[in-house]
Amino acid sequence: MNINKISLVLLPLIAVLATGCGGDDGSNGEAGAAGVDGSTGIDGTNGTDGTNGTDGTNGTNGNLAVFTVQLTNLTYSQPFSPAAIILHEPGYNVFIDGEAASLGLEQLAEGGDPTEVLAEALAATQYLDSIATDGATGPRSMGAMSTLVVPLLDVDDLRISFTTMLVDTNDAFTGLNAADISNMTVGQSMSFMAPTWDSGTEANTETASTMPGPAAGAAGGGGASAGFDAARDDLFDLVHFHRGVVTNANANDGSKEGLTTSVLTEADRWDNPTARIVVTRTR
Amino acid sequence: MKFFKIASAIALACTNSVLMAQTIDIQITNLTHAQHFTPRLVIAHDNSIDAFEPGVEATSALAWLAEAGVIDDAQNAASTGQNFEALLGPTDTDNTTNTWHRFDGLVAPSTSLSYPFDTMDKPYLSILTMLIPTNDAFAGLDSIKIPTTPGTYTYMLHAYDAGTELNDELNSMRTDIVAQGGAALGGYGVPGVAGAGASPVPLGVGGTGVAVTVGFAEDGSAIGANEVVDGTDGPVHIHRNVLGDTSLTDGASDLQSTEHRWLNPVARVTITIPAP
Repeated sequence: MNINKISLVLLPLIAVLATGCGGDDGSNGEAGAAGVDGSTGIDGTNGTDGTNGTDGTNGTNGNLAVFTVQLTNLTYSQPFSPAAIILHEPGYNVFIDGEAASLGLEQLAEGGDPTEVLAEALAATQYLDSIATDGATGPRSMGAMSTLVVPLLDVDDLRISFTTMLVDTNDAFTGLNAADISNMTVGQSMSFMAPTWDSGTEANTETASTMPGPAAGAAGGGGASAGFDAARDDLFDLVHFHRGVVTNANANDGSKEGLTTSVLTEADRWDNPTARIVVTRTR
Repeated sequence: MKFFKIASAIALACTNSVLMAQTIDIQITNLTHAQHFTPRLVIAHDNSIDAFEPGVEATSALAWLAEAGVIDDAQNAASTGQNFEALLGPTDTDNTTNTWHRFDGLVAPSTSLSYPFDTMDKPYLSILTMLIPTNDAFAGLDSIKIPTTPGTYTYMLHAYDAGTELNDELNSMRTDIVAQGGAALGGYGVPGVAGAGASPVPLGVGGTGVAVTVGFAEDGSAIGANEVVDGTDGPVHIHRNVLGDTSLTDGASDLQSTEHRWLNPVARVTITIPAP
């Protein structure tokens, strides 16, 4: 804290009037020269520091582990729908191969909508945190980073699941089913490669009116109306490993290998794995 | 992709001071039905080297390897300055960030080869080899951490598409089709499947192109009737498999759908860390 310095200024001297006897007053004498400035005063002492404020209280879940998750689309031309990413304890499964898909998985795998999958996860007792990725992940690209948070005490037995639709298909999805990410240290990353399943809820007709993605859109179909259909008309209503798309390639040559009614081309094919997911614990 | 763990790095540093110049055994098995592997590029490296990364554009070095099976100047002088030798430094020496070797010869389908390799104490291992006959498919081991405990470790490799050339599946031995401008098919920068002569089953001729169409540019405009124009389809991604067809004289592809296709994994790598 500074205080203003004290300036001492001497008043100018006033000339003394000269007085003569019986004579006229003489003229006033000249004003005297200004006096010298006084010396600078000493600085004042600093004031005492203020006290620190009290620390804020921790939130109710003060001890948290933070994970970032990044998805890479490994396919040549299959866009991924917004992905449902779930952190949970053992005992919960988004799907089980060989069993029927939940309504949420059917909506994700046929229409690319993760909302109901996330709602189903939230209802599970093993649920810890979840997020839908910010929009679609294009083919051959890395998606945006997603952040999830779980209580520190759950880190010792932790699972990650995610599901996302290959949108130029009837009901194909890729994902992880309760992959073990227990006991990760801060700064550690784990990488997983994911195969492709068929939700078993829709026949793989590969037509414009049954697929929501851009391939169907280019053929005059696609969109939400071509996505989810509550009817389950696959051969068996069971989740199973996807056999790939047939496409219309080689449909009209002598081999007749292709599916003439498919709107997909050879470019829409894929091989496993179709997705890579990198999980990093950041706190 | 590399994951750098401080704790592990310290452990490695301690181990390495004991195991100077460790030589490991690397065995590679070709799991495909009818795809040969070109000479293998084996790199031991630190976390500043990344030979390939899914979702990221390929380097010219990766393009040379994936399109022509070329790793260094000795294989193809035209690749000088663009190949992995240019990227990594001289072979069989400690380039600080890496050491690498080209294991020559082809690995035929259903066969294995093994080699000793001096890792020169680098912490990561990458292996790349082109699948022929394809346009730009390669099998890749992506920066695995070299184990330090003696033992045998197995890794399954996927086939990636370098994304540097369209998958036209046109036999580069053909002379009735040329790249736009007149260059012969094959090799880095021009279309055509490399290694056509090495295929265990004959390649066809007369194909009209799979991802391209002979006589037309990528935008659909007409070019020379016997010309084909190349393009890119990157970044690096999992290969969607060749298409092929069942005709040796026409159809879209010069590959055979009944022989040349594969499903991942395409290779198995077994690493043996010797007892100290």
